[in-house]
Amino acid sequence: MTRLIDELKKLPGIGGKSAQRLAFHILRSSDDDAHSLAQAVRDVKDKLRLCSICNNITDVDPCTYCTSPTRNLRLVCVVEEPTNIAAIEKTRHFNGVYHVLHGSISPLHGVGPEHLRISNLTRRIDKNEVDEVIIATNPTVEGEATATYLSQTIKRAGVKVTRIAMGIPVGSDIEYADEVTMLKAMEGRREL
Amino acid sequence: MAIKQSEAIVLRSYPLREADLLVTLLTRTDGKVRGVARAAKKSKKRFGGALEPLTYVRAYWDDREGHELARLDSCEVLESPLADEVDYPRAVALGYVAEVLDQVLPDREPNDAMFRLALAVLANLRAGAIWMPLTYFDLWIVRLMGLLPELSECIECGEGLNGSRAWFHPLADGLMCQQHKRLASNEMQAESRRLAAEMFRAPIEKFGGTAWRKQQGIDLRKFLAQRIERQLEKKLVTASMLDRLD
Ligand SMILES: [Zn+2]
Ligand SMILES: [Zn+2]
Repeated sequence: MTRLIDELKKLPGIGGKSAQRLAFHILRSSDDDAHSLAQAVRDVKDKLRLCSICNNITDVDPCTYCTSPTRNLRLVCVVEEPTNIAAIEKTRHFNGVYHVLHGSISPLHGVGPEHLRISNLTRRIDKNEVDEVIIATNPTVEGEATATYLSQTIKRAGVKVTRIAMGIPVGSDIEYADEVTMLKAMEGRREL
Repeated sequence: MAIKQSEAIVLRSYPLREADLLVTLLTRTDGKVRGVARAAKKSKKRFGGALEPLTYVRAYWDDREGHELARLDSCEVLESPLADEVDYPRAVALGYVAEVLDQVLPDREPNDAMFRLALAVLANLRAGAIWMPLTYFDLWIVRLMGLLPELSECIECGEGLNGSRAWFHPLADGLMCQQHKRLASNEMQAESRRLAAEMFRAPIEKFGGTAWRKQQGIDLRKFLAQRIERQLEKKLVTASMLDRLD
């Protein structure tokens, strides 16, 4: 029991009390449930890997996005984390493929550009497989630094680079937008 | 509970539990204050971009009795680093300013000179122009920490260094003359010592606009960063990242 609690405590956001509660829940659950939880944990490590083209987490390599016959493989959207892909897929309007950096430039954590997974993106560009790169990193100092760094690297190869717009959330009121958001919204305005 | 408010500079924010952020603020009235911004990670509404490092804000918080951490109520952005271009060197420079301030300042000790220094440096830290404001920041912060030795004399023998060569070393607290320099010392150019003297006489704007190369004042910044790291008894994460920039 102590071993289980100690292992659960290593999970993000799980303190001693939560770990204890989860451990007791697992203890009380059926053999089947406990077994399939353990198996799921094993499978994640045994079967999932990173797509060799886009770094997305996948059980087949290349991933389903990179091998889809209906997607535009020459349009690449760059995101920080694999979970960001779901947010973009929700729109059902993006028909290109992805590239996952697995992080962003973060000086306070000692993370520089050399720590990001960029090489397979530049390889795709060097092989002339890309027309446009859309940079969809977060609108934070770290995300912006990452975007600027990437665009400088990619533009050298003559590929079109775009950045997702920042601005006022849909359904909100511009009266409550903070100064930076408003400024970015003005900068990113479009002609009607 | 009475809500306090002050101008402040956000130094750091870390995720805490599921949706909260642990935020370190340099406030004008109360010095360094650490507090929790509830639900800031999920609901971006109340804080927006205000908790990004080095954002100049008006912060509202309450100090709960018996709690070390304040409860951060809201922040209004006064000036955001995101309003200007953020390239990689500027991000590292901003990180350095945040790390140094966070490390050297004690909790809850107001220090108006430090606050004004931070504001002045942030206002001048632009993409493509980081080395001048960083030099100014290093000089003044080391002086405000009380760690700046007399740069015109040898700390070993007291002999004047003006007009002669000077050296520094991570374990020596000041400059040394030719005779007393230690093994593996670095030389500090007379030009850099002159620059230091000028920077103590004039506001930062006087040095602005000039596109500094990294090489300018590099020995002075190295000497000053060594003073800070010696005081902290540890290396600064962002200092080595600055070293690696071109
Ligand atoms: Zn893929
Ligand atoms: Zn001497």
